[in-house]
Amino acid sequence: MQVIESSTVLIFAVPLVIFLINSLFSKRLAEKFSMGLAYVAPITQIVATAACFVQIAHLKQHDIIISWDLAGAVSMRFAVHTYSLVFLFCIALVSLASIMVANRTVPQKRTGFASLLMMLILGMNGIVMVTDLFSLYVFLEIVGISSFVLIAMFKSETGLEGAFKYLVMSVLASIMILTGLAFIFMQTGSLQYDHLEASALAGQSPTQLVLIYAAMILMIAGFAIKTGAVPFHSWLPDAHQSANTAVSVLLSGIVIKVAGIYGLIVITGFFGKLPGIKLTLFIMGTISIIIGALFALRQSHFKRIVAYSSVSQMGYILLGLSTVSMLGLLGAVAHVFNHATFKSTLFTNAAAVHEQTGTYDINELGGLEKKMGVTSFSSLAAFMSTAGIPPFAGFWSKLLIIMALWSSGARVFAAIALFASIFTAAYFLRLQRKVFFGKLRDQLAGITEIGGSVKLAQIMLTVVTIAAGLLFPFALLYFRGIGLL
Amino acid sequence: MLAAISSFLGSGANIIYFMIVLPLAVGAVLWLVNNYYFRLILALLSAAVNLLFAVSLYRSEGFYLLFPFSSGGLDIAFNVYRFSSLFLTFIAACFLLVILYSVVYLKGKKHAGLFMLYMYISLAMMNGAFMADNLGVLLFFWEGLLCTLFGILLINNLHNPRTAVKALTLSGTADLLMMLGIIITAYQAGTLYISQMEKLPVSGLAAAGFACMMLGAIGKAGSMPFHSWIPNAAEDAPTPFMVAFPAALEKFLGIYLAARIAMDIYDLQPGSGASIAVMTIGTLTIVLAVAMALIQKDMKRLLSYHAISQVGYMVLGIGTALPIGIMGGIFHMLNHVIYKSCLFMTAGSVELQTGTTDLKKIGGLGRKMPITMICFIISALAISGVPPLNGFFSKELVFDAALESNLVFYLGALLGAFMTAISFLKLGRAAFGGEFKLPSDRGDVRESSAGMYLPMAVLAILCVLFGVANTLPLDGLLGPALGDTHRYSGWPHSVVLVLISVAVLLLALGDHLYGSKKSGGALYAADHIHYAPGLHGIYNLAERQVFDPYMWIMQLANAISAVCNWIERGIIWLYDDAVTGLVKGAGTLLQRFNDGSLSRYLLVAVTGVAGIIVIILAIN
Repeated sequence: MQVIESSTVLIFAVPLVIFLINSLFSKRLAEKFSMGLAYVAPITQIVATAACFVQIAHLKQHDIIISWDLAGAVSMRFAVHTYSLVFLFCIALVSLASIMVANRTVPQKRTGFASLLMMLILGMNGIVMVTDLFSLYVFLEIVGISSFVLIAMFKSETGLEGAFKYLVMSVLASIMILTGLAFIFMQTGSLQYDHLEASALAGQSPTQLVLIYAAMILMIAGFAIKTGAVPFHSWLPDAHQSANTAVSVLLSGIVIKVAGIYGLIVITGFFGKLPGIKLTLFIMGTISIIIGALFALRQSHFKRIVAYSSVSQMGYILLGLSTVSMLGLLGAVAHVFNHATFKSTLFTNAAAVHEQTGTYDINELGGLEKKMGVTSFSSLAAFMSTAGIPPFAGFWSKLLIIMALWSSGARVFAAIALFASIFTAAYFLRLQRKVFFGKLRDQLAGITEIGGSVKLAQIMLTVVTIAAGLLFPFALLYFRGIGLL
Repeated sequence: MLAAISSFLGSGANIIYFMIVLPLAVGAVLWLVNNYYFRLILALLSAAVNLLFAVSLYRSEGFYLLFPFSSGGLDIAFNVYRFSSLFLTFIAACFLLVILYSVVYLKGKKHAGLFMLYMYISLAMMNGAFMADNLGVLLFFWEGLLCTLFGILLINNLHNPRTAVKALTLSGTADLLMMLGIIITAYQAGTLYISQMEKLPVSGLAAAGFACMMLGAIGKAGSMPFHSWIPNAAEDAPTPFMVAFPAALEKFLGIYLAARIAMDIYDLQPGSGASIAVMTIGTLTIVLAVAMALIQKDMKRLLSYHAISQVGYMVLGIGTALPIGIMGGIFHMLNHVIYKSCLFMTAGSVELQTGTTDLKKIGGLGRKMPITMICFIISALAISGVPPLNGFFSKELVFDAALESNLVFYLGALLGAFMTAISFLKLGRAAFGGEFKLPSDRGDVRESSAGMYLPMAVLAILCVLFGVANTLPLDGLLGPALGDTHRYSGWPHSVVLVLISVAVLLLALGDHLYGSKKSGGALYAADHIHYAPGLHGIYNLAERQVFDPYMWIMQLANAISAVCNWIERGIIWLYDDAVTGLVKGAGTLLQRFNDGSLSRYLLVAVTGVAGIIVIILAIN
């Protein structure tokens, strides 16, 4: 218990302290050290998450609640459970990769980047640990505002445009979610998770259910905007493309999952059994997979392809959630983890390619395999994982999702999910072929492999991707063995 | 000593080593060692040893050997008894002469070693096929012969394998039918072992099995409709091939199996539909092939059509299902091998000396090559059925059986005999009689070497011997082997039939004299038939290969491949153009819609919310 409590404190305190340090020191000094300091937060978080996991495995307790009494007046309750640990680990991992990339791609305003990143980490940590819907909303706003500024702060035309679109859509989502919260509060009188669990659907007459339905519609739509699911996806490619690549790593790698998917996990956990919710998610997931892939096939901008791929992959996670079953949730969370690793890898590669060649246009690239071996290999591993080719990690999570769909009776959706993997392979094969395979272009003859922290990030993420794939079945058996599943 | 050899062969797996592995090994040595005298001695020695083995087996009581091979019912089972060992003897004797002729003929020629190898592989395959009691094992040896056939035809034509492919296609189709027939037969009989089969009645599914097996067997012998590669081979293949394969080896094998199908495997009743069908094929083969032979102007091509036509008599004889017919068919096969090998050998001799077998270029060779001419005359008389040579007696037996079945078949056979006589009168007079037509610098044409005329002479003597003393083959060899105690030897019992046959021969002579007088030359003696009104058009079509079954097969194959190509193009279009086009089109359409305008994004999002509302309302 002690370990978990202090870990929780660290998870919140370290980003906050770093943020404060960045703000306190002189601008010149901070510019020098802030990026190095930023590493502390994700590394601490990885360690703390590991410690929490060991503790949970030891206690064999699925869900641990920690209460903080601030000055005796406000009481805050946080929860640590297996899934939130997975999310916390992903947050730390992707943030780490993002800082490594930013080392190269963010030459100025390093302090600003580092501070905003700290706020973003804080917000995301909050989202996955809070125990009531309103706190979730508050942290959601922190995440939204930090990401908005992160996109916009580098003062490029497209960056501003993307950020503006994100802001508008994000605000729309916030309004919907807030309104939904209000409806739920009207109906149940509480937004605490444990109260909701008890009273959500107990003895409701149809007319009273109308409020819940209205809340569901608004919240699903709101979180779907945050997730970037079709038809709420439009902002995502613009924002991810125009942001600095270090920010893209964050947005695509983790923010859409914590802000969107996690919210959906929470509300489907309470209201998923309501008729209609499942079908909504089924349909949204399926069209996300297909439309996202179709978009990705027609892009020529490296980052846009990867961004649309995120839309498509979010569809898989939605399908997993839509089964409202243990297996589906497991598949969805596993896919969140896998997507965090391979999508970060791909954006890191995008950064590497852009840093070395100066372009994102895949039609101007070709044959980089010979010059940028590490990048090419990590890209290959990431796309194989995305396409769900065994033994890469993506295969296992897709398998779980498809199994969950099949056993919940949605066999048509299972078949669609299975065959849509061909699309995934198609757009990534196109990317891989145009960028890395084939004949080296003459004007690219002088290209060298990227070095430093970006290369380190690529290696780290690829190792995680491959190791996760190889160890996945054993990890599942282990979790089952210690009673966490 | 023969008894000792046969008991030695019958013990253990010696039969496999000495009848099958030994020829293969000898063939390999002959292939690798390229020395004429070594090759001559080893070939003669090994062929003689093989003959000795075969004779010893024939003289023995016979035995049944089972070599467990696998669990799939494909145990190697050899049944060496009178009938099969008689054929082993035939083939061994024939092989001795053919191999002597081949070695001499191919002296100093390229690929002679390879030819030897194929010949010995063929010998091993035939030995195996004659001894096999298991139809599956029989098929193995049978197909092995197809491979050597293809190989030999490729030897000189590696870059233009037209004939080889044609032979492979036609013989392969026949073998495919054989395979199908064996499957059906084994299914119907419940066993693969011939010795365990009780004669199956030819009806229902078994009739299909009979038809397939019989077509496969007589197709191997060169009967219609799998015959048309033989005239092409006569042009392309080395002459020893013609002596060996279409003239001798394949006849032995095909007729052996046809006889066993009719006698042991199926219960072929005289006068039954199956019998009539087989006889019809036989008669058609006789008449049509000899009609084509009539108009040929090349010695080897002409002979090759006779090699087809004569099979008709054998098939006709066996098809009657009468003891006299089967006896006649098999006797005719034996005679045919003797005189047709001899005829091809004379053709080879002529070719070797003059460099051509085109009858327009040669003539008057009789004075230069007297031994060749004498051998040719004897064997030509034999094939025409002139008494008292061997061909006369076997044809009379077949005529007898055909007449007993149906007058039509008899008349067809008689027509065949008539045309055979005409074509050989023409061939003999054009090649050996008349003016010497070769250019003057080729005046040094002389008789071939002893190694070539020796086999010819032996065969010519056999023609006379088996005719005059026909009791020797009929009562001494075939009767006991077939278990038929009736005596067929001596002069044919029906004087009327003999008189008719002689009349036909005289008629042919008359026609020949009329024809050569009319068209001014022995070579053109058959032209009045060739260009007769009505026949002329048919001959033209035949020469354009309209009646060639190979062309039908190829057209069918082309049609099938066109259809397959069409289907494949459709499939390729489906996933090359249709699917990718659809995906690309959809992507482009979506892309056009997703134009970066925020208001449109919001509109889409609001539509999405509306969609969710609709779904939830629809469910509740």
